[in-house]
Amino acid sequence: MPTGPYGALLDAVRGVRWPAARRVMGATLGAHPSQLRGNSSEFSEFRPYRQGDDPRRVDWRLLARSDRAYVRLTTDRATFRTSMIVDASASMAFPLPQFDKWRLAREVAVGLASVAHAEADPVGLAIAGAGQTVLAPRARRSVLLEMMRALDATTPAGSTALAPLVASARASRVVVITDLLGDFDEMLTAARLRVASRSEVIVVHIVADDELDPPGDALLAVDPEAPTMRRILDGDLRIAYRESFLRWVDDSAAALRAAGVRYVRANTNEPAPHLVRRIAGETARRGA
Amino acid sequence: MSFLAPWAFAIAGLAAAGMVILHLVARQRPAAYWLPTTRFIPDQRTLVSRAATRPRDLLLLALRVLLLLSVGAAFARPVLTPRRGAMARVVLIDRSHAVASVFDAVTRAKAATSDGVPATLIAFDSTPVVVAATSLDSLAKTSRTEAAGSLSAALVAARRASAALAERADSIQLVLVSPVAVSEIDSATRRLRAAWPGAIRIERVALLADSSAPWTLERRLTADDPLGPAMASAPRSGTITRLLRGAPTAADSTFVRDGGTAVRWDSTAASRPAAEGLAVGDEVIVAALGRRAVPNAERVVARWADGTAAATETRLGKGCLRDVGVTIPAAGDIALHPPFQRIVRALLAPCGLNVTEHPADSTTIAWLAGAATNAARADVLRGDDTRPSPLAPWLLGLAIVLALAELALRAKSQTEAA
Repeated sequence: MPTGPYGALLDAVRGVRWPAARRVMGATLGAHPSQLRGNSSEFSEFRPYRQGDDPRRVDWRLLARSDRAYVRLTTDRATFRTSMIVDASASMAFPLPQFDKWRLAREVAVGLASVAHAEADPVGLAIAGAGQTVLAPRARRSVLLEMMRALDATTPAGSTALAPLVASARASRVVVITDLLGDFDEMLTAARLRVASRSEVIVVHIVADDELDPPGDALLAVDPEAPTMRRILDGDLRIAYRESFLRWVDDSAAALRAAGVRYVRANTNEPAPHLVRRIAGETARRGA
Repeated sequence: MSFLAPWAFAIAGLAAAGMVILHLVARQRPAAYWLPTTRFIPDQRTLVSRAATRPRDLLLLALRVLLLLSVGAAFARPVLTPRRGAMARVVLIDRSHAVASVFDAVTRAKAATSDGVPATLIAFDSTPVVVAATSLDSLAKTSRTEAAGSLSAALVAARRASAALAERADSIQLVLVSPVAVSEIDSATRRLRAAWPGAIRIERVALLADSSAPWTLERRLTADDPLGPAMASAPRSGTITRLLRGAPTAADSTFVRDGGTAVRWDSTAASRPAAEGLAVGDEVIVAALGRRAVPNAERVVARWADGTAAATETRLGKGCLRDVGVTIPAAGDIALHPPFQRIVRALLAPCGLNVTEHPADSTTIAWLAGAATNAARADVLRGDDTRPSPLAPWLLGLAIVLALAELALRAKSQTEAA
């Protein structure tokens, strides 16, 4: 499979596991512990027989020894549909001319999709940019390549809402890769609804270093999504800006966590493989 | 270098100073930086006004100041003023037919200019020509021209030359090297002389001596001959001219070959008179005259107004034979008119002596020299201030180039700022 510029990334994340944070619903055999107890060979526990249980699951040996009927419970494993929602608004095209935020967002999306796909999970993609691109979750081999092509063909521009994509994603695990500078409140509401419906929502907050500490020669700041917003960034204003921005980051993280959303802050100076491992690893620890 | 309109340069200087002040206090907008988190910056004014100790955009300022100064200098009309001497000189050298020896005239002119004072030499007859000092030797070797001299034309040329010399000297001396014949003075001479604001140094040279030599007519004319009144006052000695009324005889040919002058002029031949213009040398009359055909010859002595020959002359041996085709009506008083009499004398004069010049009298010479002894002041002779400044077009061109450079630089700055 031609992987283009993602080859090194895919090599780096090979072998990483990304288990679901809790038991998943699903009947398709996968790698994640399922809420269902079935006929797999992985023994879990005995439970007294209740009317309606399948007689074939009664442990006849135990019945013979204890004269009581127990059914044998096993742990089923299922797939976990995962969807990547990538913010491709104009604010992601920063800083010029490298587009570090957009680069990191693409690499994280591909890396996480690769990890999920390696566990046979169907993965999908939704790009919220000047035009929307949606790839429904699929488990086929070519899905990663389709995602790469879609991401590479996209240039961040415009200002598109993320909330509709979060609400309509056909997946149980939704990863939103964004800088949170769009429709944050609406997205939070949509995420809260998904969490309530037992979906797992992860928000990867991309923050550029130049956003934390703009260059010294940046005296007149202009919002790329609202060019009429022009502010002077000098002296005390720079300090006030930094305080205001960090406060907003903390508040946003707190709001997301309060809604049951997993919040991951990602700086553009952090290597994408490291970030992928961090996201998957934290999930693994939580699941454990 | 001086300015003909210095006020324009002063205005440009003030404008340039204002431009420097504007660059010191100009409101400035910093270059835009695209920052997605702009919303977290407290909203304050986006323009910064401040008086700087150093003007900003030094290159742009320099271009604008140079542009203003160039335009101002162009409108101030700068002129390059050469170093001025105390005196310059205009020398008028007469080479008309009234001058006995052009060589003598040139020698006198050389002597007049030997003191090293910058001089403009003008040789004149009826037309003035500026000659270089290095051409004087060549001029000395030439013979006088056949044209009559004109002091009026010479004075006009002197005035023009002095306007150029006035830029280099404080005073202009006018030297006239001429015999100052009466014929060289016309009605315009008096006014032109009055227009010269100083004295004229006159170096008189000899008048053509032959022109005043006496001559006489071999035949004594009767009182009723139309040519008689003209010759009545002529001297009775000197060279003899033979007047023929018919075809020349062998004796006449012998007379001519020996150096005499024979004039074949059947002035009383019958012909129908008509109003005609006749020119002999500088003399012109319009009168009722008759025409008679004359043979083609090597020299035309007189012409009718339509250009046809009225009198021709053929050299024969040492003398010449002249045919005059002018008939004079018996009735009328034209024979008594002085202009006609002068024409008659010119047509009957010996070969080569058909010009009669008389020197101007002492009163005329004194009037021409002027009462003052000083040279003319140069500032009076200098041209007016409306003459074009040679530097102005170049300065305006420079201003256009600077304006284009300023435009390009400003566009580049705006592009970079965006």
